Amino acid sequence: MNVLMPQLGETVAEGTVAAWHKKQGDAVEKNEVLLDVETDKAATEVPAPVAGVIASVLVPEGKTVDVGTVLAVIETDSAEESEAAAETSEEEGAAKSTPRSGGKRASPAGRSERQTAKAVKMAKAKGRGGKSGRLRLSPVVRRLLAEHGVDAQEIAGTGRDGRITRKDVLGFVEQRAAAESKPAAPEPAAPEPESRPAPAVSQAQPPAGAPGESTRVPFDRIRRVTAEHMVHSKSTSAHVMQAVEVDFSGVDRVRLPKRQDWRSKQGYSLTYLPFIARATCLALRDYPNINSSVDGDALVLHPAVHLCIAVNLNFEGLVAPVIRNADSLTVAGLAHAIHDIGDRARKGKLDPDEYSGGTYTLSNNGSYGTLMTGAIINQPQVAILSVDAISKRPVVVESPTGDAIAIRPVGILAQSFDHRALDGAYSAAFLQKVRALLERKDWSDEV
Amino acid sequence: MAQLTYREAVRDGIAQEMRRDEDVVFLGEDVAAAGGVFKTTVGLLEEFGPDRVRDTPISEQAIIGAAMGASMTGLRPIAEIMFSDFFAVCWDLVANQIAKTRYMTDGQCSFPLVLRSANGGGSRFGAQHSQSVENWAMAIPGLKVVAPSTPADVKGLLAASVRDPDPVMFFEQKSLYAVKGDVPDGEHVEPLGVARVVRDGDDVTIAALAAMVPRALKAADTLADEHGISAEVIDIRSLVPLDTQTLFDSVSRTGRLVTVEENPRLCGWGAELSSIVAEELFWDLEGPIMRVTTPHIPLPSADALEDAVLPSAERIVDNVIRLVD
Amino acid sequence: MGNTAAAKKTAIVQAPGIDQATRLKLYRVMYECRVLEQRAYDLFMQNLVKGTSHLALGQEAVAAGFGTAMRSDDYTFCTYRGHNHTYVRGVTMTSILGELMGRECGLLRGKGGSMHLTSVEHGAMGSYAIIGAHLPVAAGAAWSAQYKGTGQVSVCFFGDGTTNIGAFHEALNFAVIWNLPVVFVCENNLYMEYTPIDEVTAVKNPAADRAGAYGLASIVIDGNDADVVYEAACAALDKARRGDGPSLIEAHTYRHGGHSRADPGKYRPDEELQAWLARDPIPMYRKRLIDLDVSEAEIEAIESETDAVIDQATEEARNSPPPPVDIAHIDVWADGSATWRN
Repeated sequence: MNVLMPQLGETVAEGTVAAWHKKQGDAVEKNEVLLDVETDKAATEVPAPVAGVIASVLVPEGKTVDVGTVLAVIETDSAEESEAAAETSEEEGAAKSTPRSGGKRASPAGRSERQTAKAVKMAKAKGRGGKSGRLRLSPVVRRLLAEHGVDAQEIAGTGRDGRITRKDVLGFVEQRAAAESKPAAPEPAAPEPESRPAPAVSQAQPPAGAPGESTRVPFDRIRRVTAEHMVHSKSTSAHVMQAVEVDFSGVDRVRLPKRQDWRSKQGYSLTYLPFIARATCLALRDYPNINSSVDGDALVLHPAVHLCIAVNLNFEGLVAPVIRNADSLTVAGLAHAIHDIGDRARKGKLDPDEYSGGTYTLSNNGSYGTLMTGAIINQPQVAILSVDAISKRPVVVESPTGDAIAIRPVGILAQSFDHRALDGAYSAAFLQKVRALLERKDWSDEV
Repeated sequence: MAQLTYREAVRDGIAQEMRRDEDVVFLGEDVAAAGGVFKTTVGLLEEFGPDRVRDTPISEQAIIGAAMGASMTGLRPIAEIMFSDFFAVCWDLVANQIAKTRYMTDGQCSFPLVLRSANGGGSRFGAQHSQSVENWAMAIPGLKVVAPSTPADVKGLLAASVRDPDPVMFFEQKSLYAVKGDVPDGEHVEPLGVARVVRDGDDVTIAALAAMVPRALKAADTLADEHGISAEVIDIRSLVPLDTQTLFDSVSRTGRLVTVEENPRLCGWGAELSSIVAEELFWDLEGPIMRVTTPHIPLPSADALEDAVLPSAERIVDNVIRLVD
Repeated sequence: MGNTAAAKKTAIVQAPGIDQATRLKLYRVMYECRVLEQRAYDLFMQNLVKGTSHLALGQEAVAAGFGTAMRSDDYTFCTYRGHNHTYVRGVTMTSILGELMGRECGLLRGKGGSMHLTSVEHGAMGSYAIIGAHLPVAAGAAWSAQYKGTGQVSVCFFGDGTTNIGAFHEALNFAVIWNLPVVFVCENNLYMEYTPIDEVTAVKNPAADRAGAYGLASIVIDGNDADVVYEAACAALDKARRGDGPSLIEAHTYRHGGHSRADPGKYRPDEELQAWLARDPIPMYRKRLIDLDVSEAEIEAIESETDAVIDQATEEARNSPPPPVDIAHIDVWADGSATWRN
């Protein structure tokens, strides 16, 4: 089985092999750490997808390769799987001789087809095919296998003739997730509203299609709606991005002492995000044209801030539910609201009207270590703020006694605004206000 | 809540709307003095008088043409075509005139009318008085198509059809006329274009219309009791406008769809539903979509023959088992 | 048609009540119809009108006679040969030519075309292109007027070929038994499409000879004489408005061209064509006006005014852009949408 370079975030196209924990010939257990991978800011451990022996290590430490590149091949030990491994070895040769171009994601279906091909052999070996001797995978099973990075041969089918059902895949994934729960990852350097399980590597791992072949994967409903919204927004608004760098040490003066207590009482982490949301709401009071929407040739100013929080549904789509009257909430109130709405969004428990009526949007990509994101405006709003990774960096600090270099938590806030509605100076003044609040406001009353 | 027959609900639905709106008028063959050949309109002449409830000659083109002309000049006519098979003799008025004229005239006129008809098999009338033709109507842009399965829906959907600003083909399933059911007291209106989940289930979605709904429910009982299969049953109720979301919500959970229709096999409405689901929900499917239909034959008359060819609960069960097994 | 000259003479004698203003109006409307149809033909030849079109050159007296006699809120239902019947209700030449040319200024913005001219605000309730369909529809509009007691009358024009289709018979019977205020007008131009009507019809006068079957009077008029048509129209409209029910009028006339754009009309004997051209309703009526002491100058004023209007309308239509493509996707339903699913 091939071990692939995972995609660590939507905007990431390549990764660097930081360190191998195993070498060729080593035996590995399933989920045992195989190597470390780094992108701009994030580092992730890549576990072994199956138990077996490392047949070959293809990418040396320090080398940066496209997402989807084969990093190593694990030879598995069961009879059926060695047949599959033989097949992957052929692919490996092909992968080596034909470098993937552009780091494009191969489609899940491509993977599914390969899996089907393997499944055919497996079915022959086990003699559990249908009338035609082929083990058939239903569309939903193919999709789920691809989405969860599961190989069909890992699952025992309970359907007719041993066919794999949707329930079989979901059950397998659940069991695997339980088995994979590991010691907590290092605290993310980003203002994630709650600590989330590190994404299963296999989830982020883009499936590789056979070299030279392209596969067409129809959009599902969420993908299609998202696509329409995004294109509509891009063709409607004149997007301009502006960013400021913010020193979060003022926030940390309040946040760090409270963090432990907060977590034990509330059950989730006190992150930077509610502070940023609070500063945004306060700044919007002074810059009302940003809390608005374009209607024909008029700007409609909204009296209250209904703040949308972009929520990633475990890579199965993106939604932006609304916190109503967010400008009436303190940092603590916003932390509660952000946690609640994200939690319910992921569980699919939001009412439809909780998705409508927003006046400004915060998008948080920090958990993947991104530096800066040019977000697409959530129509009919006129601006969106992207929060990216906040990490410790050397900063020049000026003081009456002279300049000094200090280590400070720093992150970039990037706003995309609609140039139809406002000009750059107005947006810049707003960002300056947000930054000033985050750096100078006394936050001790708010938490 | 009153217990009414499907037949009585037709009359109640018409009467409710005629009391509400003087522009509602009603015409058809044998509908006034005789109260309809299926006795669906008994008492309307007495209550509303001969100006509003009118018998016509056996002239289907005249009936539908008159309804069209009246609707485009301010009335809201309800016209009855005795058997839906007879739409074939006046289809020009339905398909070319009523359906197209709003579009062709750049939206200058509307046709707020209802064409009611007794549709479908099961009454041993033979091939020319038994066909289910809702798929004919569904194929024509500009027609709304409704087919209720219960007395409450007869009344509520008929009321909504009368109030709708567009032409509605309202198919009453004649073998259901004697079926009784609860109908809400007072004014009752059900929106068009909303399917109803009539039984919850996890393993398979059965989409049915009119007389096929009770058969699908019976099949679901059998599937649960004897085969441990949990079937969700959806009453489509309205083919145009079509509630795809209710269908999607169900099929995306169950991963399987079986449609049950009285239409002969080719180009029945189940084919359209199957196509939509295949295009838009393919990656949620756990097996092929199956259609249970009448075979591609005219309907025979003898009870033994008719019962053998119309979709039955047993046939639905067999298809579901083949799919879910 | 040997008796048409006599009919014409009789008409003049029988129409002393037509005042000069009405006569001038009849002439003006006929002349307008003529230049409009002629211009439509010219635009075909320039390939600016696409598709098919059915001209009523030669049949102007029927449209003008009824159009002048009708009340402004009466209803007109006509066929695909309906440019004139629509025009006489007050629709502009620009919007008709624009529709023929598929332009945004068209009466239906290009969504209907030549065969479906409609202007509800002018009482022109549609041009129907399936033979016979609109007779029951016209009866339905008459039912609506009867039910509401508005005094409106529905007038339905159709060709001789329509008399052999079922809807004709259903509609006549239906209108009579419900005593509806509707006037059925058969424009008998002697040919159904290419085939002479008398070769395919059991009776000599295809409409009038069937009237008796529905208890109606048999009425045949000279459809090329605007005065005769106008008088017959007034009588039938009055009857309908009084509550005395429908009429069926057969107006004998002749189309100068073929059935449609594709038809040069070569199947017609030359002497027949020449005889009818000699009875062209417009020169015939012009001569009558002169005989009735209307000055040449007054008539020429009407003609030159109309010539200017048609030229301007042609320019306007030619300069109008094609309709926006997105209107192809609207107005299937009364809410303006074409949505059939959620």
